[in-house]
Amino acid sequence: MTEAKEIRISQADLDFRRRFMEIPGAERLMLCYQCGTCTADCPVAMHVEEFRPRRIARLAAYGQKDRLLKGDTVWLCAGCYTCYERCPEQVRISEIISALRKLALKEGIIHPTYKALMKSIAEMGYIYEIDDFQNEMREDEDLPPAPEPDIEEIEVIMRKTGFLDLIGGC
Amino acid sequence: MRYAFFVGCTTLARLWGYETSTRKVAERLGVELIDMPGSSCCGTTYLETLDHITALAIAARNICIAEDMGMDIITVCNGCTEVLTKANKELKEDLELRVKVNDVLADVGKRFKGTVEIKHFVKMLKEDIGLDKIRKAVDHPLKGLKVGAHYGCHLLKPSDVMLYDDPEVPTTLDELINVTGAESIAYPNKLECCTGPIMGIREDVTWSVGLEKVETVKKYADIMVTVCPFCFLTYERCQLMTETSPDVPVVHYPQLLGLALGLDYEELGIENNKIDASRILDFMED
Repeated sequence: MTEAKEIRISQADLDFRRRFMEIPGAERLMLCYQCGTCTADCPVAMHVEEFRPRRIARLAAYGQKDRLLKGDTVWLCAGCYTCYERCPEQVRISEIISALRKLALKEGIIHPTYKALMKSIAEMGYIYEIDDFQNEMREDEDLPPAPEPDIEEIEVIMRKTGFLDLIGGC
Repeated sequence: MRYAFFVGCTTLARLWGYETSTRKVAERLGVELIDMPGSSCCGTTYLETLDHITALAIAARNICIAEDMGMDIITVCNGCTEVLTKANKELKEDLELRVKVNDVLADVGKRFKGTVEIKHFVKMLKEDIGLDKIRKAVDHPLKGLKVGAHYGCHLLKPSDVMLYDDPEVPTTLDELINVTGAESIAYPNKLECCTGPIMGIREDVTWSVGLEKVETVKKYADIMVTVCPFCFLTYERCQLMTETSPDVPVVHYPQLLGLALGLDYEELGIENNKIDASRILDFMED
């Protein structure tokens, strides 16, 4: 079934909205009066038709979890904070999008790029592999060896917060 | 002046010219940058959006290393700067949160105490060394060189966290460029994001956003200057990805300052930049 453009009041999931607004960053969702400053000034929205921060706020206000979490919508925010700075109601749309990502992760949804980055940090302590080869190149440039991250400590931290299970379970 | 030097993944792994020039310029200005043993990735601006406590704990673990060294942290990546500054601020101000995070850190024998500050290298240059002192040290001014400065987002925003410069009308980087004798020019959309963070989601968008800015800069300036490895890679790579490259050299700020301080083009690692920047040398007096 193709998705209807309108949201029917009967489809609103206010229970979801209530739970969503408890996530830190999403508290100010209902202050949004749809002025559209966020979308107008968003560097991604200028190039990506389907990424509309104002629409994200509206869908969240009606508790449209499935529409929000499908596709790349919540993963397209570059985190530039332009909407955060310019919103006349300090809704902090960027934080609302972050809250949606947190919710997605709890539901077992994460963009593969994000998952790969998080796994790199968990396994290597860096987002790239920095090995002997890199250190030899660094030496050629007269640079000291890269600090060796304490991977065990990172694993202990990520296990204790439950994050390893979250990214492993996706 | 001594600081703990948090280099960050991208610079460590790929942008040695940025790291070398930062270290050389610091040395020339009498600043000691001390490596942070055992430090890791800051967590990235991505992790912040996925899990609050994990993000704080990974950032705080790095901050704790600097606390043990008894030194403020110097960063060179806007992303690391924002991640570490935000974690540092939240954990200094919210004691309940600090207890939660310290409970996690206790398992690795660490404890956040809240004794250090996080500073991007350019913030340190302006606030701790000062423009006057830098101006006096400039002995090879880059007269006539027009520079398109790109601040990048996380040096300034979120402004209620970064508390640094004006998020809409910043001046720090322009001032730091002008003390080299070069001229930081105004250009449209100067503060627009590079969209580097969505490179792994929609690469095509990042390249077109990047090219748009580079092509704008080309109309007004000779080179572009960045203070973040992510922004740098975006503006360099978007040009390499197209057959009709605008061919605008992208230069890390410490490379520019280094030249003005009389350091060699080679020792500043400028030849590692993928777009030949040697035209800068035409602006230097013999």
